[in-house]
Amino acid sequence: MSNAHMLPHYPEGTVRTLLTTDLVTEATRQALTDRLNAPLREPTFFSADDFALLDAVCNRLIPQDEQEKRIPVAEGIDERLSKNTTNGWRYDSMPNDGDAFKLGLKGINESALVIFQQPFLNLSGDQQDQILKAVQVMEAPGEVWQNLPADRFFEELLAEAVENYYSHPVAQEEIGYVGMADTPGWKRLGLNQLEDREPRMATD
Amino acid sequence: MPYKTSEIVDAVVIGTGAGGAPLLARLAQAGLKVVALEAGKQWNPAHDFPTDEKAQAKLFWNDERLSAGNDPIPFGSNNSGTGVGGSTLHYTAYTPRAQPDDLRIRTEFGVGEDWPFSFDQLEPYYDEVEQFLGVSGPSPYPWGPARKQAYALGPLPVNGAGQLMERGCKEVGIKTSPAANAALSAGYYQEGVGHRPACANRGFCQAGCNIGAKASMDVTYIPLAVHYGAEIRPECFVTQLVKSPAGILSEVVYMRNGQEERQRCRFVFLCAGTIETARLLLLNDLANSSGQVGRNVMAHPGLQIWGEFDEDIRPYKGIPGALISEDMHRPADADFVGGYLLQSIGVMPVTYVSQMARGRGLWGQDLKRAALAYNHVAGINILGDCLPYDHNYLELSDEKDIRGLPKPRIYFSNGESEERMTAHANKVMRAIWGAAGARNIWAFPRNAHVIGTCRMGNDASTAVVNANGQSFDIPNLYISDNSTFPSALSVNPALTIMALALRTADRFLEQWK
Repeated sequence: MSNAHMLPHYPEGTVRTLLTTDLVTEATRQALTDRLNAPLREPTFFSADDFALLDAVCNRLIPQDEQEKRIPVAEGIDERLSKNTTNGWRYDSMPNDGDAFKLGLKGINESALVIFQQPFLNLSGDQQDQILKAVQVMEAPGEVWQNLPADRFFEELLAEAVENYYSHPVAQEEIGYVGMADTPGWKRLGLNQLEDREPRMATD
Repeated sequence: MPYKTSEIVDAVVIGTGAGGAPLLARLAQAGLKVVALEAGKQWNPAHDFPTDEKAQAKLFWNDERLSAGNDPIPFGSNNSGTGVGGSTLHYTAYTPRAQPDDLRIRTEFGVGEDWPFSFDQLEPYYDEVEQFLGVSGPSPYPWGPARKQAYALGPLPVNGAGQLMERGCKEVGIKTSPAANAALSAGYYQEGVGHRPACANRGFCQAGCNIGAKASMDVTYIPLAVHYGAEIRPECFVTQLVKSPAGILSEVVYMRNGQEERQRCRFVFLCAGTIETARLLLLNDLANSSGQVGRNVMAHPGLQIWGEFDEDIRPYKGIPGALISEDMHRPADADFVGGYLLQSIGVMPVTYVSQMARGRGLWGQDLKRAALAYNHVAGINILGDCLPYDHNYLELSDEKDIRGLPKPRIYFSNGESEERMTAHANKVMRAIWGAAGARNIWAFPRNAHVIGTCRMGNDASTAVVNANGQSFDIPNLYISDNSTFPSALSVNPALTIMALALRTADRFLEQWK
């Protein structure tokens, strides 16, 4: 048993099991099953190089190195930008989402070259984190950040990565969320009142 | 049966949310020929509303808006919806009433604006809307003037976040009560609408309710309107209001299936919400002799305080806003204008973690650890009054949307009053959470609910519409939505929008029928 399993965690497979029961509505089952079984997607918005960089950045923002099933975070961003859809608003100080992502990725690489004389992809995890931290607090060097507000870019990228990750049934299992299993309604609402189908945290 | 576009209908209502739907039902009930144009789709709750945040993003108004100013307002999931029912499809169904003094901010504080009528003009409509929606709530309600009628149903059960807020407030001496909420605590039947089932405590009120227990317009006023003969035309995006040589509106132009159509009519009711209502008027250069269209944008200070608790909370269960306190309506130590209310909040996981990423800037293993605490988190938030300022406004930008129309740009910066109020609330809520036993307390500053842009008033030089919602410039144009509020009020706006819509409809019927 690996070290990770000594930490408190929720049991695996809870959501996947619930999806096979009538505790979820057909509409919910379909939405989550489609997401769970989505085939891996080749990038259509980003170039192969940009996508590899975005993927590496996303993996620092939400590490999933040890995960058996990889949740497609960067793929989700590529898919949205390919469809040219938005979440309804953007900071006026930012260019449109597609341009912001392309510029921001360029900026991350530029900062890596200035600080470590290496492209971002060649850096160690810790070094990559240093670059990202610098971007987040607006201390990253490079020309791109003269024009693109680094903190806004970082915030938008992080929020979208997080939304893609935690929308996935496997990530929801990780945090013990089973709100999708709602067809019988919830009767035990109060503090420390759990229904049978709600997973308990364990340290085994 | 659908009306013909060549026919001159009595009224076209643009938008089917809290401002359009009640008014539509009232006009139809009075025997008028009415057509509602709705930009979004007609959804089927059981099939289209899965319990999944991402799948329900389709309910938000996702056409891009540009957010400017020092405190740029997020739109999309934070504000404004699309589909038959409008934003009520994804409102959390909080239905507190404004208090009488909310309507006279200028009289009491010397700044901001008074409403052009007093509370007693709204009160009967509050009663009516609450009974019609089947609002669940406590009786007597502990704050504000005594009610003539008890809430239609008893309060919904209080979830974990509500119980914690109750515990903390008791400790620090703040009075609380189960909140009033437009979700049904028991089955409810009404003529013209049918039977709606009791709330199943699904906790997913920030999206579409899949059983119709939450009183969104699509399961309440819209069926009533249709029952009385109104026609609902979904997926019709209005681009133009055509003025006749006589200076009144004669036709509404809209896009349906990529084609332009025109509906002839005698009256137009613009109910598209703060942003789209102002945008449409500016696009057509209408009703703006005062220069006030797009001005006075307001947004409620909506600071949230989150904490982690030892207790298992499971924040996805029960109505999100189970507990309320209006003790801060006019706090004795206030150094700001107006006041605010306190609400407990439950939350869905994607919303929570993404807010946390934005608010705390967490990422990497820190983020994953904090996300693992999801089942143990609970929040409190405020909703407070906001003053109108010259520096907060909407304008048309040079950037075009997918239809080739200019995207709106909205400037918003909190003023001194809003900042002081937020600081006050920050202290109060941290004290409550501290007393309740929270760890890792963090604040998420935000502004919720956009209000203003087409203010109502008695003076044609400073307001866009009169107290009846009628345009000063164009007598057969009415506005019924949150854009006409002269002040922001210290409560969630939906109930007041509906009450005001019924008043506007009645005033219109008295004058014209």
